[in-house]
Amino acid sequence: MNNGVEPIIQIKNVHKHFHTLRGTVYALRNVSLNVMPGEVVVIVGPSGSGKSTTLRCINRLETIDGGEIIVDNIPLKGARNINKVRAEVGMVFQSFNLFPDRTALGNIVLAQRVVRRRRRAEAVDKAHDLLAKVGIPEKADSYPAQLSGGQQQRVAIARALAMDPKIMLFDEPTSALDPEMIKEVLDVMLALAKEGMTMVVVSHEMGFARAAADRAVFMDEGRIVEEDKPDILFSSPSHKRTKLFLSKIL
Amino acid sequence: MQDESRLTEQPSPTEAPSPEDPPSDEFVPETSTADKIFNWLAGLPWWAIILAVVAVAVLYSMFTSAAYQNVIRFLTDDPQRSTDDLFDVVQIVGEPAMIIGHFTGETQDSVESVITELLTEVIDSSLVTRAGFIEKETPATITVQTDSGSVTIPKDRIKRMEPPDAAVGSDVEISYIDRVTVTGTLTERDDDTMTVRTVDEEIQTFATARILNEETSVIACDKNADPDCTDREVVTILREGEIVTGTLTTLSQTGVSLQLPDESTREFRRAEVEYIHVPTLTIALNEAQAEEPVAEGQEVRIGFVDGTDITAALEQLDQLEDIPVPLRYSEGSARVALVSYPDIKAALEATGAGDVAGLVYLDAGSERWAVADWVDANPDAGVVLASEPRECTRHCEITVKMNDDELTGTVTARSADEISIRTVDAEYVVIDRDKILDNRRMEPGVCALNNLRGCNEGIFLTLRVTFLAYGLALAIGLFVGLMRVSNNPVIYAISTLYVEVIRGIPLLVILLYAGFVISPWIRDHTPVELSDEWEAIIGLAFGYGAFIAEIFRAGIQSISRGQMEAARSLGMSYPQAMRHVILPQAVRVVLPPLGNDFIAMLKDSALISVLALPDLLQFGRLYISRTFRAFEGYNTVAILYLLMTLFLSLLVRLIERRSRLPQ
Ligand SMILES: Nc1ncnc2c1ncn2[C@@H]1O[C@H](COP(=O)(O)OP(=O)(O)OP(=O)(O)O)[C@@H](O)[C@H]1O
Ligand SMILES: [Mg+2]
Repeated sequence: MNNGVEPIIQIKNVHKHFHTLRGTVYALRNVSLNVMPGEVVVIVGPSGSGKSTTLRCINRLETIDGGEIIVDNIPLKGARNINKVRAEVGMVFQSFNLFPDRTALGNIVLAQRVVRRRRRAEAVDKAHDLLAKVGIPEKADSYPAQLSGGQQQRVAIARALAMDPKIMLFDEPTSALDPEMIKEVLDVMLALAKEGMTMVVVSHEMGFARAAADRAVFMDEGRIVEEDKPDILFSSPSHKRTKLFLSKIL
Repeated sequence: MQDESRLTEQPSPTEAPSPEDPPSDEFVPETSTADKIFNWLAGLPWWAIILAVVAVAVLYSMFTSAAYQNVIRFLTDDPQRSTDDLFDVVQIVGEPAMIIGHFTGETQDSVESVITELLTEVIDSSLVTRAGFIEKETPATITVQTDSGSVTIPKDRIKRMEPPDAAVGSDVEISYIDRVTVTGTLTERDDDTMTVRTVDEEIQTFATARILNEETSVIACDKNADPDCTDREVVTILREGEIVTGTLTTLSQTGVSLQLPDESTREFRRAEVEYIHVPTLTIALNEAQAEEPVAEGQEVRIGFVDGTDITAALEQLDQLEDIPVPLRYSEGSARVALVSYPDIKAALEATGAGDVAGLVYLDAGSERWAVADWVDANPDAGVVLASEPRECTRHCEITVKMNDDELTGTVTARSADEISIRTVDAEYVVIDRDKILDNRRMEPGVCALNNLRGCNEGIFLTLRVTFLAYGLALAIGLFVGLMRVSNNPVIYAISTLYVEVIRGIPLLVILLYAGFVISPWIRDHTPVELSDEWEAIIGLAFGYGAFIAEIFRAGIQSISRGQMEAARSLGMSYPQAMRHVILPQAVRVVLPPLGNDFIAMLKDSALISVLALPDLLQFGRLYISRTFRAFEGYNTVAILYLLMTLFLSLLVRLIERRSRLPQ
């Protein structure tokens, strides 16, 4: 896999714990993962295994307690302008997190204007293009509350893409959606993967993983248990825990 | 840019019912008529709302119109009382001859029925003298060319011409009436005319002993107009201020009230009083006996000065809690002997000599330090002061001397010791509005329901202070609210301290701090000098800032964490995310409580009258203090506040509706 190109995301021996009222929770224990440019990595694992935490550490929504994360050659720990890094890393949330007081168009335009300092016309054009790309050009003037879940998630993807990110992180983008809407979101993600976007996806959609992912990672109790090509990992996992987990969700 | 046309553009309706739409069922509540109207209102464009505001202004001006006043006059039992006091002096400057009319009965005659007699009497006219040569003469006018141009003067306004028979072309000096000023109280006003009552008529009877100076002048009547008329004799009397003695009931910074022997009470404002004699009790003791209590059966000798009221003095002495030792006699055991002396000096010397144990001296104010001064001057005389002089504050006879004043009028009755003067007749002058050249000091008098125009200044002050203070409070609240959600412990602690301290202090106290502590400090230490109004604004703003900060904090915290994370993941900095993502949503959430505080602040602005600001409440109190009509006065104030708050709450609700997101 290492053909002279530097990995765009390097996670090295990362530790992360949370102090809660009921004691310390170890969310990540010595996690290491490299993602090459253009690679699509799917992370699976049981609830509480640290999948979301891993993603959130990549754009420093969580700080890490040990180890090192380097994104696009910038070590996150000492990064002086974390906002520059974040602008290069798009993130899509399970709960969409659209700005409810703005139209779909407004959601996509805002960060372009504020962060990328694009002119209004340019930002609006880009927003329209992206809405067309995610298949809802006619919803530009709808407010999030007027959109279905699938439509909202597609606006959220368009919003992240508007920043022209080098990396896209997806945290269970379809798990809050009704089954008939899952496909429309996955189609968009699949198209994105085909275009060569670097993606880290937390998802239990096996179909998507098989079709789009270069690699699947199985996490449990804050550790990466095993990683492999999705076909191999899903059909013949080498670890007992992986087997157990897969037997539950399939 | 964060507005993104969300207020003006109606969102296109969704074609497919979105999953969030509640299934329509029979439980949909009926919208009430009021709701329907309000929804309709909320849907109106902004220009319609501006029009509505204008309409309110028009309505308000209708409430201040003559028609409205007539209605009020019809409804109130004492119309004269309620209007007369309400208008200040009006001065109308106009040309003479043409503008003066007599108010005859209830009908107002046309301007043509002019009576010129008034002109020289109560109406002040300004006489202009000019020199030049006569350029032109007509039967009615003379045109004079002067250095500064030519003037045409109606002949009937010429008072003097030098030489009297100057012909065209000759030099002349001419005096004529240029303009006339009418001064008085506006009693009526309609579109064409104004009626001014020039001077109050009143008959005053008082003792001739009070006359300090009297001058008589005769006003000759116009024999040409009415051969049978009689000249009038007008007296001007300088009158000594009244001296009133009675029992003191209250003594305050602004006034005194007395109970007169006939049980009636009388109040005086300090401004109309020349002096007040309050009896002051001074006690001096013989030094040797000062520490010796009175023994059983012993006689106590008490000195007093001839002519002072010893009974009253002893009564006051009785009321004292700490009676000095030799004067304190236990129940019935000692006898008292009162010894009189011709003057203070003699009495004090006798006290020093041990002739009497003590001196009780009651003086009506002016000489209250006489005893103390003597004791100071004669330290070896053996006399000590038992206590500082004590001024009576209640239940003692005091004397009030009012200021001298001047009175002009005709004498209606005169006896050896009493005189009745009718002050100059009230003149009702009807003035054609077209003829009014200038209206000086047309401001109406006191704020009352039948003169809402008089409330304008107070209303504007209240509104101005409220709006400015609220704006400032919003700024403070937003700033402190943001500090309250900060992760920095120092910033958090500072903002929490501010909120807790300010919230725990009554607004009134904060206002007093602003007015009497902060503002003087700023004046002394910086070149800035705050006006009373800004003191009030700053006080209100800081007081409310704490509450508004808490509202903002709650609003910001009510926005889900996901919003901040989404914004940050897009690369926005914390301030950017706050400003573009969190605050616009938080503001929507907090609009209702902010509106509440706005209205509460309008009401609390009534407190600023403690800083002597003429706000609406102060105007109402002014009316009450002049007319003693508390019911009407406070009604006016309450109704006006109510109108303002109702209007504001409508405005607030409209803003809320309009900022609501489409569902
Ligand atoms: N902010 C936090 N405070 C305390 N504990 C946390 C916090 N975030 C996550 N955790 C804990 O860290 C562990 C890993 O959480 P994480 O959200 O990464 O799991 P996950 O794999 O995404 O699970 P799921 O599939 O349910 O989303 C869990 O035990 C969780 O309770
Ligand atoms: Mg998760």
